[in-house]
Amino acid sequence: MNAPATGAADAIEIRNLVKRFGAFTAVKDVNISVPAGSFLVLVGPSGCGKSTLLRMLAGLEGPSEGEIAFVGQTVSSGAGGVIADAGRRNAGLVFQSYALWPHMTVAGNIAWPLKVARWPRERRDRRVKEVLALLGIGALAERYPAEISGGQQQRVAIARTIAPEPSILLFDEPLSNLDAKLRIEMRSELMRIHRATGATSVYVTHDQVEAMTMATHVAVLNNGRVEQFGKPIDLLRNPATTFVATFLGTPPANLLPTHRVADMFVFNDTPLVKGEIAPGHAEVQLLYRAEDVCVGAVPGKPSVIARFAEAAPIAGRTMVTAMLGDLRVTGMAEGYFSAMPGDAVTLSFIRTPDAVFAVSGERINQ
Amino acid sequence: MTSTSTFAPSGGSRLLRSGFIMPAILVAIVAVLVVAPLVRILLSTLTPSGVEAWQAVLVSPLSFNLWWRPLFNTMVLGFGVASGCLILGGFLAWLVVLTDVPGRRLLGLMATLPYMIPSFAAALAWGTLFRNSRLGGSAGFFETNGLIIPDWLAWGLAPTAVVLIAHYYSLAYTIIAAALSSVGADLVEAGQMAGARRPRIFFGIILPVVTPALIAAASLTFAGAVANFAAPALLGLPVRMQTLSTRLFGMIETGQNERGFVLALLLIAVSALFLWMSDRIVSGRKAFITVTGKGGRTKRFPLGVWRWPLFAIAVAIGLLTTVTPVLVLAASSLAPQSGALFSNWTLHFWIGEGGGEIAQGQAGIFRNPVLLDAIWNTIRLGLVVALTTMLLGLALAYTIVQRRGSLVATILSQLAFIPLLVPSIAFAAAYIALFGAPIGPLPSLYGTFALLVIAASAHNLPFAVQSGRSVLGQISADIEESARLTGAGLLRRLFAIIFPLAIRGLFAGAILVFVKMVRDLSLIVLLFTATSPVLSMVAYRYAAEGFMQFANAITLVILTVCLAASFLAHGLQNRVQKWKES
Repeated sequence: MNAPATGAADAIEIRNLVKRFGAFTAVKDVNISVPAGSFLVLVGPSGCGKSTLLRMLAGLEGPSEGEIAFVGQTVSSGAGGVIADAGRRNAGLVFQSYALWPHMTVAGNIAWPLKVARWPRERRDRRVKEVLALLGIGALAERYPAEISGGQQQRVAIARTIAPEPSILLFDEPLSNLDAKLRIEMRSELMRIHRATGATSVYVTHDQVEAMTMATHVAVLNNGRVEQFGKPIDLLRNPATTFVATFLGTPPANLLPTHRVADMFVFNDTPLVKGEIAPGHAEVQLLYRAEDVCVGAVPGKPSVIARFAEAAPIAGRTMVTAMLGDLRVTGMAEGYFSAMPGDAVTLSFIRTPDAVFAVSGERINQ
Repeated sequence: MTSTSTFAPSGGSRLLRSGFIMPAILVAIVAVLVVAPLVRILLSTLTPSGVEAWQAVLVSPLSFNLWWRPLFNTMVLGFGVASGCLILGGFLAWLVVLTDVPGRRLLGLMATLPYMIPSFAAALAWGTLFRNSRLGGSAGFFETNGLIIPDWLAWGLAPTAVVLIAHYYSLAYTIIAAALSSVGADLVEAGQMAGARRPRIFFGIILPVVTPALIAAASLTFAGAVANFAAPALLGLPVRMQTLSTRLFGMIETGQNERGFVLALLLIAVSALFLWMSDRIVSGRKAFITVTGKGGRTKRFPLGVWRWPLFAIAVAIGLLTTVTPVLVLAASSLAPQSGALFSNWTLHFWIGEGGGEIAQGQAGIFRNPVLLDAIWNTIRLGLVVALTTMLLGLALAYTIVQRRGSLVATILSQLAFIPLLVPSIAFAAAYIALFGAPIGPLPSLYGTFALLVIAASAHNLPFAVQSGRSVLGQISADIEESARLTGAGLLRRLFAIIFPLAIRGLFAGAILVFVKMVRDLSLIVLLFTATSPVLSMVAYRYAAEGFMQFANAITLVILTVCLAASFLAHGLQNRVQKWKES
């Protein structure tokens, strides 16, 4: 066991965590810690190890190396495996499939974990009513899971998980099986529940919009490694790697490969910026946000000619995507804009790049 | 480009769609195959002599022996076999699906094999080992070697039940294992997250979720045991233990057809009642609809120190119910004295010339023209019935799916389902009632090969429709429609798209029907005559006359054919659909 719990200990602390399945390493040396009440989002493409990480937090898998501590108490470690059982770490997990027990009613599903925890009947009944009301599904109490819709099943799954009042809530892509409209609705519902319960939450998703809207802390995972961990706005503003830079943000940022010619970094024969932004580098990747790329020629600014691909109106402006060879570049046009696919469009880079990356993908400090 | 601008539907699809001809023909076929015999057998017990038969069976001094005693035995067998199968099949299914027992694939394969072996193989093997000298004749292996075998272990209910359990537990295993593997790991892990321990998860979550499968397994094994003829006939009849099926057989064999028909109707009622009740229990509850999630992944519990002991028990069950009977039959078919299984082995019973000391001068089975005839008949029967069953099943399934919701579809699917409720020996009795006498200008079909084929195809209808539907289910409407949009005509689509996708399912279904026919006795036993002998019947005759070695040898031939067909199916399937290799 670790040092006794103190008020200063983080609600969740992950240290040097590694998980191997045979020869395959799913999670590589992960370090994350968040204070009580946080909403941590683990985001990344499928297969990046985020679900494995969550299952280790839940206690359903043991780590190969490293440690997980909840409020200063080590609950899992590479040496000791799962030290505190899944049911003994005061954590609740909402499954992607909801995992509702089909032979129990909605109320039965919610009450069962309380029965297992030996809550007295009266307190149990009261709590079931309470969470049913909190999720707005009181009318469904006596239905069976097979008789209610996907969105309602989702609410039951959440109700069941929060009923025992866990101090840590874990979510495994909970919204991925819902349609787009319901997903947005449940997003705010989940944030409301997070505020109401005050439980530290860990939320796994591959949807960067969910990450940006819900998280107090975000960890971007790729190939089992944490690419960057921090507050969502910091990750957006100061991406540490090209992966983070292109994964987060709507519309996705543009990344232009350039090489040094004399004193300039040049993209496709177009000089973009002075070489002094990355001394000692022969080739760099420049990050331009869509709002820094303007459709049409702007005097005094470098520009390229691209082939029009698609246009999407957004809040009075138009997001224009065009192809430069195999490279997609997105810029903004004032008002509405349309063209035929393949038409030539001029794209001007009206500001200096937001960030500069080495060819390896690492950020180069300016 | 041609100048036509009208979009005429192609001839093929118009023919299939507009025609009421095909559904009408199918309804007629199913009515003749299923409804007519059952109506006929009912009607023939409503004649004056039929009513007398009802009285004799139900309310007369004879009724104790004709009805109550056989009913009691049948019930004991049914419940005993169902419980035994649930325990054995459930245990193995739990072990294979939900634990980390070593050699899970091997155990799974072993648990499915007994169903491929005819139930009379186990009965004959049991007799070879346990037969005692009470009835005269030669004693079995154990008694010959000095062990005293009490009557209850040699004959009657107990051995019959054991033999039937050894046969039907693999059916229970298949059903329960499928249900257990559909219990997603998420359901179990959600229980773990709630803090429940393993027993609580097992009894609180897993068991309730698979309850429908347990009920289905119990009712199907019950129905199987109740309808079985071979095992009670071989192990019970010598000591006058009668079940409803042996009684019914005895009545019809001795020419008391009306009484036989009455017993057949009662047997149908008993079997159907239990199947119907179990169906009510399961379908009445919405709680039993499984909500499937990601699926595929199941939670395996570690067994710890119990891994190897439990593995040993499972292997022992598999060996005792598959390998042992086969070895005993093989040894017996080589041993001149049936008690001394392992001495003086000779090939006489297989290829010996007649006229010697052994076997009262009878020749070996491969020198017996009746047997060669029977092998040919059996394989012919299996092939023809497999073909007719699959064709009929495909046609019925296609019509039912195409006309989903219509009256025709409902009628067809309900009618085709009926034979499931009718034990095969009672079904055969119904066929005798209908085809036993000439109908109008048509000659009596009794005793012909054609009647066997018709009756067997009819009795296989529920299976045929089910496998036809699953075959068609693999070909989604999208696939067919996308082919239609390319302009491919019906025949082209049939051969390029539908056939390649359906062949594997059709093949698997056909092989199962083939195996079922080759090892069947209870349907055939009433419809068979000397002019169209089949293997199982010849084996039964030999056994009834006490020539155990011959019976065992023929049973081995049946076994070989069944297993060869199964392996052939296995091998061919991978060749036919290469994209499914794994």
